[in-house]
Amino acid sequence: MKYKFIVVAWILVLVSALFGTASSRDSARTNEPGVQTPDNADVMRVEGEKRFRTNCGRCHAAPQKFPPRMMATIVRHMRVRATITDEDMRLVLFYMTQ
Amino acid sequence: MNRRFIDCVRNRTLVLFLCLAAVIVALPSRAIGQTPEERPVPIITGSAGYFTNVDAGQTELIPEINPVLLVPVGDRWLVESRAKIQGSYVHAPNSGPLEGEFEESLDYLQVDYIANSHMTVTAGRFLTPFGIYNERIYPIWIRDLQLVPLIFPIGTGSSDGIMFRGGFPLSPTVNINYAAYFSTLSTVDQFESSRLAGGRAGLFFTRPRIEVGGSWQKQLQDDRANLFGFHFAWQPPPIPLNLRAEYARSNFGSGYWVEGAYRLSQIALWNKMMRRTEFVARMQQTFPGEDKPTGNSDYRFPSSSVRQPDFGLNYYILDGLKVEGGYSRWLGKHNWNTWTVGIAYRFAVPLGRPE
Repeated sequence: MKYKFIVVAWILVLVSALFGTASSRDSARTNEPGVQTPDNADVMRVEGEKRFRTNCGRCHAAPQKFPPRMMATIVRHMRVRATITDEDMRLVLFYMTQ
Repeated sequence: MNRRFIDCVRNRTLVLFLCLAAVIVALPSRAIGQTPEERPVPIITGSAGYFTNVDAGQTELIPEINPVLLVPVGDRWLVESRAKIQGSYVHAPNSGPLEGEFEESLDYLQVDYIANSHMTVTAGRFLTPFGIYNERIYPIWIRDLQLVPLIFPIGTGSSDGIMFRGGFPLSPTVNINYAAYFSTLSTVDQFESSRLAGGRAGLFFTRPRIEVGGSWQKQLQDDRANLFGFHFAWQPPPIPLNLRAEYARSNFGSGYWVEGAYRLSQIALWNKMMRRTEFVARMQQTFPGEDKPTGNSDYRFPSSSVRQPDFGLNYYILDGLKVEGGYSRWLGKHNWNTWTVGIAYRFAVPLGRPE
């Protein structure tokens, strides 16, 4: 009996994960994070620095700025490790690569 | 209460947990789109260091390297692994030659799936999320004092299984972070783990930069003991001070540590040098429990009550390169001093075109 519960719950998790992935792909298509106006870029840079100090600065000092593709990997790693939010991750990545 | 009822409640709790996980996973994620220049590339990062400890008059040389492999796959996946290769060399009796050996261990080898803005699903061997030290402060280039806290063996280490973790804002000034995991029993070499389940949750108040949280772990084998702990961290915005504290309790003992690290950047005299200098002080205390302490040979919980003040001085030559010195005084049944000097370096090497 208990295994039925577990199997049903896991199917629910997997199906909803697929839906979650699909819906996020849709939202990814509608947003264009690579396109920034100069004013918007300044705001994002300032906010990114703030989020960096708030999240990353809790454990370590600011690292040097790595090339963008390396930074993208490091920020993804830190997103998992430090459980930072999606929005914080994108702003920190923008700050660290500009 | 009969066993059937308890099993029923457990099953329902598990199902509720999985349903909650399903709902969170189903929430649409915001875009994680990247420009081609920002597409992540595999890298090898990590830290290397060389330390000399003089512990109760016995000198120990410790070279170590902790490589971390990060392989991003697509927009949402990350394979990551960290190994530890550490030497320990001491003089043979009567001032004989240095003797010792290197030991290797696998800290984690995990696959992460970023399900949405609020949840990452991790499978494989991962660092057990109990308190904040093991996951966040343990790397030698991050920790302010090289000696790990005495309560480190409580609840930490590595687990083999599955974990759900993430964070989301509760309000514009409060973020919540969480981790829930299940680990299976394993006796495979380099993949040893216990059968257990647990979780950690924390609240981060962004304005005063205070984090408070708690951890819980239930052993699902042997004596089925419960472990719990609390953590606190505060970086007061006006001053370069980093305050952290942890408390942990298990059936073999309990204890706490409180640590403050202050960057001397506000001192005007020789500011160029002072702003790279950090002074650290920590107080810790342990109390033995009913059972015999456990833990591997590196980190063993004290079998009697111990108090230990620690002091350290770090100088950051570069952001990822520091030299450091420390002093600790063990105050237990016997008292002794431990001196530490060393150097720690953080590296990062791309395994593809970085730009």
